Amino acid sequence: MASARVSFWQRFQQIPRYYIYLFMAGVVVWQILFPMPLPIAPSRATHGVYEAIAAVPDDKLIVISTDWDASTQAETGPQTEAIIHACLQNGKRFAIMNLYPPMGVKLANDIAERVTQEYGAQYGVDWCNWGYKYGFDNVLIALGKNIPKTIGDDFHGTPVGELPMMKGVQDISSIGLVIEVTGLASVTEYWIGLIQGVYGTPFASAYTAVMAPGYYPFLDSDQMQGMLVGAKGAAEMEVLVRRPARASIIMNVQSWAHLLIIALIIVGNAGYVLARGRGRQRA
Amino acid sequence: MGELLQSVFSPATTPVPLYTRLAISVAGSFVLLALLHRFLGPRGRRWLIAFVTFAGGLYLGLEYFLPVREQVLWPTGIPNPNPARKANILSPGIEPLGIMLSVILAFTVGLGVYSLCQVHGRNVAQRRPGWHNSLAFFLAMLAMLIFGFWAHYLPKVEPPPDIEPWPEGIYEVLFNGLFMPLQAATFSLLAFYIASAAYRAFRIRTAEAGLMMAAAFIVMLGQVPLGAWITSGLPTSGALAFFRLEALGEWIMSWLNTPAQRGIYFGIAIGGLAMSLRIWLSLERGTFFSEQG
Repeated sequence: MASARVSFWQRFQQIPRYYIYLFMAGVVVWQILFPMPLPIAPSRATHGVYEAIAAVPDDKLIVISTDWDASTQAETGPQTEAIIHACLQNGKRFAIMNLYPPMGVKLANDIAERVTQEYGAQYGVDWCNWGYKYGFDNVLIALGKNIPKTIGDDFHGTPVGELPMMKGVQDISSIGLVIEVTGLASVTEYWIGLIQGVYGTPFASAYTAVMAPGYYPFLDSDQMQGMLVGAKGAAEMEVLVRRPARASIIMNVQSWAHLLIIALIIVGNAGYVLARGRGRQRA
Repeated sequence: MGELLQSVFSPATTPVPLYTRLAISVAGSFVLLALLHRFLGPRGRRWLIAFVTFAGGLYLGLEYFLPVREQVLWPTGIPNPNPARKANILSPGIEPLGIMLSVILAFTVGLGVYSLCQVHGRNVAQRRPGWHNSLAFFLAMLAMLIFGFWAHYLPKVEPPPDIEPWPEGIYEVLFNGLFMPLQAATFSLLAFYIASAAYRAFRIRTAEAGLMMAAAFIVMLGQVPLGAWITSGLPTSGALAFFRLEALGEWIMSWLNTPAQRGIYFGIAIGGLAMSLRIWLSLERGTFFSEQG
């Protein structure tokens, strides 16, 4: 039995998937090994996060809610790192906490330990880790009223009330800014609904690129001071803190990966249009 | 009443009160559950759950909406324990309730582990297809549990030794060396699938699909430095600046995406409100009472 003949144009639509995987892997490896750095200009949303950090009064804390895990760490890891740089460069004290997934508290702690060493910042004085707190709404409702009692012990098992930087911290009025770093949808709604909306605590965020479009309304309504969008936001923050690092490399890779995807879509559509045109001619 | 709740739910910092409270709580829970099981039939349980749900919702709703004062707990003359924070008579119960809910929610972790063990234990015991995956689950869970707890509860040495104690070393290998790369690798495969899926599925069959593709190209290029570089010849201010890819991408996200997302949010909020009301009034019975008719 003769196999159905595939026209030249139809082949354009049927590139085997393993070739596509190979192209993608090639682009990624090429840009990691031989990066072609391109200028990165911080957007308005990224400037918003930086300016919100800089505007926090010295007697107030910044809470960084690191609700991410290894699956999104390519974006959320550099975001967290750049935010911590911004806090330390502006002389702000910060507390890491985690609502979900629990893995985020250790990953963020590793980043914070590494970055704070660069600045000589001390645990318990300049920063602390409130640890993983189970539950979303009930934790935030209670957090608004009494922070030491709600948090209890920190990541290392020390009651947070005993940490020097927590002296005088009673309720949410001691918090100057909440920054939510997450790859998880709907955590922001809890922060905005139960903390930002109720107490007027300034709020900023950092999301994976895929979920960021859903949160533009909060940016537009000024409920959010700023937003880091995926690795792009992290790279822009790295520019602002003058520490080009992993996100800047990721943006090179992403630039060419996006171009490859666009090229593939154009090739597929060119094959589709031309094959359809020839089909009509035959008919 | 508020002070009593506060004292009961304050964290116990010394061993004796901690273990006393733990013992009383566990014994009390068992007694309560046994009594409920003994004296309440299905109909009684249904009413109890409905009552607790209604009372909980009513309490949280009233606490949120009732007026608040600085010096007294509205509407009573009872002094506000924290005048810096305005409060009403229901406010003092919020913190204990939050802690209590956290404790209750923590039990779901145990329930999850129990459920997983039940499902995978059956797979291994009956040698069902893929039973070796279930065995891998047990090995992985036990390894993380044992070395995680062991490393955490090891007595800390000050200053830290140059060589990590071996349980901590194994835990680091399991967590940083295995779990993290596996999870990251699984997610990163998406890049390959998205490239392949976009190539196969994205065809301009209609004008709407063409519009969507044009918007997608602009946003994709506007999100990366390469896009900014392509149109870097255009001025950064004035009318032509709008046609820089990053500006066009930002315009699409802010002016086209935002209203659409806001509309979706309104829809979700109204649906959520309706569903909350149904759950609060126990009209949504499918979850809790489906087996009881």
